[in-house]
Amino acid sequence: MIEISNFSFKYRESDQPVVSGIDLTIPDGAFVGITGAAGSGKSTLTYALNGIIPHCYPGDFYGSVVIDGLDTCDVVLTDVSQVVGSVCQDVDSQFVTSIVEDEVLYGLENFGVPRDEIEGRVSRALADMGISDLRDRVISSLSGGQKQKVAIASILALNPRVLVLDEPTAELDPASSQAVFDLLARYAREHGTTVVVVEQKIALLSQYADLLVIVDEGRIRFADEPAKVLEHSDELKRIGVNCPRSTTLMNRLRAEGLYGGASVRNVREAREALKEVLA
Amino acid sequence: MSSFLEYVPGTSLLHRMNPVAKLAAAALFAVACFCSSNLVFLAVLLAVGFALAATCGMMRPAIGLAKAVFAFSLILAVVQILTTSSGAVLVELPWGYIGTGSLLAALTTVVRLVAAAIPLFLVFYVTKMNDITNAVVKVLHVPYKYAFTFTSTIHFIPLFMNDMKGIMEAQTARGVEFDAGGIVRKVRLMVPLCVPLLVSSVRKTNSAAIAAEVRGFNLRGVASGYKEYPFAGYDVAVMAVAIALVACAVTLGIVL
Repeated sequence: MIEISNFSFKYRESDQPVVSGIDLTIPDGAFVGITGAAGSGKSTLTYALNGIIPHCYPGDFYGSVVIDGLDTCDVVLTDVSQVVGSVCQDVDSQFVTSIVEDEVLYGLENFGVPRDEIEGRVSRALADMGISDLRDRVISSLSGGQKQKVAIASILALNPRVLVLDEPTAELDPASSQAVFDLLARYAREHGTTVVVVEQKIALLSQYADLLVIVDEGRIRFADEPAKVLEHSDELKRIGVNCPRSTTLMNRLRAEGLYGGASVRNVREAREALKEVLA
Repeated sequence: MSSFLEYVPGTSLLHRMNPVAKLAAAALFAVACFCSSNLVFLAVLLAVGFALAATCGMMRPAIGLAKAVFAFSLILAVVQILTTSSGAVLVELPWGYIGTGSLLAALTTVVRLVAAAIPLFLVFYVTKMNDITNAVVKVLHVPYKYAFTFTSTIHFIPLFMNDMKGIMEAQTARGVEFDAGGIVRKVRLMVPLCVPLLVSSVRKTNSAAIAAEVRGFNLRGVASGYKEYPFAGYDVAVMAVAIALVACAVTLGIVL
């Protein structure tokens, strides 16, 4: 369970808090999507979840962030890291080795995973991400999408109880993005892992997340089931979050009194809803 | 094509050697270069360096490196020519003269620096950075923090070079002509680019440090490395040859 209570944070070099008054409870095993306009404080929120704030970025920290009973302010970053696995936004600077296999090995070696488990975990993480054939490749020779998969694999290998990913599909094409979300959802189901994903692609988030969080100017504007959040498509647009066109269309039909069902998340659901409307 | 000092996969003997043996042999090779002033001996060492590069398919990077070291050592050579007056007089100077001995000393310096550099740089092309770190921690018991710092520095060189290339390409797209004019103009154009490069470099190293920390960097100990690095017969043989080269260099230095 992750419990964020009245959390505010102001970076040392900024005048205003980047996030303020954040209250959020994430149950174990939940798949949470966080989105918002650029500069809304999404990444800062992930830094709070993986302990990077307050341990690496100095500033004024108010409230509390408790993960599996660990208050991130009371323990060292390494303690948080044993619970939370993180994939940063800029994967290029996340790599500490130059070969794919070594990158996946790195965390396993550090956390003292038994030797007889290591090979299995490396192979499984690479296979899960569909990059087994890249095992011996030099990381700098990979495409952006492949690098992102390597970064995710290196964290999945650690079997963290909580996964925090900051725009994990930023450099992936739509099919690969879908595949990554499929994998994350399956992984979370199989391992009971809590997944928190910051992502711009709201259509993907709403398809996979149990809880969709919209951040606006450092505050949580909505935190609910995706279908309920998507009902506010006009307001979301005003704060810089573009809903899928199918969602906007059905919301307009609802506003005109032509549709009374729940908000749709994709074209398939819109088609089904329209069939009902036209029937 | 790999970047500067970036590992190139392969199966040659140099690739398969123990990382510590490679480092030790390359260091001994460099010591041999600096222990002798015999031009013929140094020329032989230079040839051996290129032969080693050829055995692991690294001839092109070795030639590139040799050119870079040559350019750098030319500066030293010029200073040496102007300040060391020995041998038959070729050119009179107000403070002495340039002689055949001056030219020979300068040539020796150039050959020595190029010969010493090739095997040292070759080590990084044929060894995974992680293997170097783990091997020096496991075999030499160097504290992991120091080993990681050293290899991270090497790891970041190609990344920063790529960043610089990217910044230069962006500037070229905006009309800056890096390819026109001489070296002085090019350097003058590049100086302002050092600021964005420095900013991005600091950001990258900070992010890498955080990434290492969230993956248990502080928990790492001597026994953490998964791979083992045993010494094979050829590792011992190569080190013995390197020691023999040092002995030869010292002997030649005393006798000649």
